Amino acid sequence: MTSSRLVYMAILGKDLRAELRTLQSLPAMTLFAITTFVIFRFGLDRTSLSGSLAAGVLWATLLFAAILGINRLFVAEREEGGFDAIRLAPVDRTTVFAAKASALLVYLVALELVVVPVFAVFFLDSAAALLPLTLVLLLADLGLAATGTLISSMAVNSSARDLLTPLVLLPLVVPLMIAASGASEPLLALGGPGYHRFGTWLAVLGLYDLIFLLVGYAVFDFLLED
Amino acid sequence: MYGKGLRPLSIATVAALVAALSLVFFYVPLDADQGFIQKIFYLHVPLAIVALVGFVVGGVFAILHLRSGDSRWDAYSYVSIHMSVIFGVAVLITGSIWAKASWGHWWVWDEPTLVSFLIVFLMYATYYPFRYAIEDRERQARYASVFAITAGAFVPLNFMAVRMAESLVHPRTFGTANGGLPGEMMFTFLISLVAIGLLWTTLVKFELTAKSASGQLKRLRRALDVPTPGGSSRVAPEVS
Amino acid sequence: MLSLLLAATPALPLDEAGKYVAGAYIVFLALIVVYVAIMAAKLQRIERELRELAGFAESRANGDQAAPGRGSEEQSISDSFAPHGAEEAAPYE
Repeated sequence: MTSSRLVYMAILGKDLRAELRTLQSLPAMTLFAITTFVIFRFGLDRTSLSGSLAAGVLWATLLFAAILGINRLFVAEREEGGFDAIRLAPVDRTTVFAAKASALLVYLVALELVVVPVFAVFFLDSAAALLPLTLVLLLADLGLAATGTLISSMAVNSSARDLLTPLVLLPLVVPLMIAASGASEPLLALGGPGYHRFGTWLAVLGLYDLIFLLVGYAVFDFLLED
Repeated sequence: MYGKGLRPLSIATVAALVAALSLVFFYVPLDADQGFIQKIFYLHVPLAIVALVGFVVGGVFAILHLRSGDSRWDAYSYVSIHMSVIFGVAVLITGSIWAKASWGHWWVWDEPTLVSFLIVFLMYATYYPFRYAIEDRERQARYASVFAITAGAFVPLNFMAVRMAESLVHPRTFGTANGGLPGEMMFTFLISLVAIGLLWTTLVKFELTAKSASGQLKRLRRALDVPTPGGSSRVAPEVS
Repeated sequence: MLSLLLAATPALPLDEAGKYVAGAYIVFLALIVVYVAIMAAKLQRIERELRELAGFAESRANGDQAAPGRGSEEQSISDSFAPHGAEEAAPYE
C-alpha cells in the first residue's frame, strides 16, 4: 500500500473506532432526528405525510442532524493536537480530506439506516419509496460529506465554531437540498413512487458532489498549513 | 499605489451613469406589456450581473492569493466581495420593488433568478462573520480565500438548481430579459451595464485606497513607535 | 392645473408605476450616498490620526518642544496648497 493509503486508513480507522468507543455523535444525531419528527408531527398537525411535505420534513431533519455531526468532526483533532500529528506526516493533505469526508459519510449512512425507517413508520403509508430513496440519500450524503468536511475544518479554528458551521454550511447546501427534495418528492407521492425528473435530479446531485469533492481536493492543502 | 487612476475612472463612471440614465428616461421606448415599470429593468439587471461577476472576480483573486501568498490579492478579494454584497442589497431591494409593481407582491418565489440571487447573497453574507471569527490574520486570509473559491463554485450550481426547481406549471420570467430585446432597449441596457460595471470598479478602487491609507497610517504609527489608541476589536484585512 | 402639467409631461406617469420606478432609483441613490458617508467618516478618522502623528513626529524632531496636536491646523492647510516636489500639484486627489 502506498503511504497515502496507509494514512487514509489510519485516520478513517481512528475516527470510526473513537466514535464506536465514545459514541459521542451518532446517538445524539439519531435522537435529535427522531425527536424532530415528533415536533413536526405536532407542528404540522399531521400524522401522515406524502409528496413535497414528506420530502421537506425528511430532508430538513436529516440536514440539521448532519450539522450536529459536522460540528464535531474536527473537535478531537483540535483538542488533542491531532492536527500537528497530521502536519508532521509526510503525506498529501488531501488524504486527510478524503479520510475525514469518508468518516462523515459513514456517520450519515449510519444515521439514515436508523432514521429513515423510523420516518417511514411514523409518516409513510408504504415502504415502496425506500429503495429508490437510498440512491438519493447516498448521493446527497456524498455532497454533505464533502462540504461538511470543508466547512468544519475551517470553522474549527475559530472562536465561534458551533455557530459558524451551520451559518456557512446552510446556504452552501441549498442546491443539494433542492435536488434531493426534487428527487424525493415524486418518490413519496401518495399513489406510489413516481420518477418524474428522477434522472435529472440525480444528475444534479452527482454534479454537486463532483464539484465540491474537487474543490475540497484542490483547497484542503491550504487549510492545514501553518 | 491604489489611488492612481481613480480620478479618470470616476469621471468615466459619472459620464457613463449620466448617459445611461438619460437613455433610460429620454430615449428608450416604453415596453409593450410592462410600460413604465419596465424601466427598473435597466437598473436591476445590470446591478445583478455586476454583483455576480464581482463575486466570481473575488473568487479569482482568492485563487491568486492562495497561489502567490501575496496578501494584496486577499485585499482585492475581500473588497470585491464586499462591494458585490452591497450591490446585492440593491439588487434584492430593486427586484422586490419590481415584483411589487408587476405582480403586487413584495416577494415572489416563482422568479428563479431572484430566488437564486437571494441564496447567493445569503452565502456571501456569511463571509464576514466567518472571516472575523478567525483571529490569526494569516490564517484568516487563507480561509477567506478558500471560502471565496468554494462560494464561487457554488454560484452557477445554485442558479441551475433553483431554475430546475421552478414549477413547469407556471413559469414566470421577467419579461424579455435578454432574448428578443429590440435595438434601442438592448443599447440602453448595454450602456447601463457598462455604467454599473464602472461604478463597481470605481467604488472597489476607492475602498482599496481607503484601506491602503489606513494601512499606511498603522505603518507610520509603528515606525514612530506610537501606541495605537484602543486598538481594533477585530483583526481586519490590512493593505500596506 | 395639475392636469395641464400632466398633459405637458406625458412621458412621466406620476401614477402608480412612476412611484415604483422612482422608488427603485432612489434606493440605488441612497445606497451610494450612504456608502460615501461611511467613507467620509473613515477619511475623517484618518485625517485626525495623521494630525496626531504629525504632531508626534514634529515633537520628536524639535526635541519635545511642541506638544502633539498643537494648533498647527492653519499651517497644515496652507501647506497643502503648496506644490509638492515631484508629485502632481493638486491637493484634491
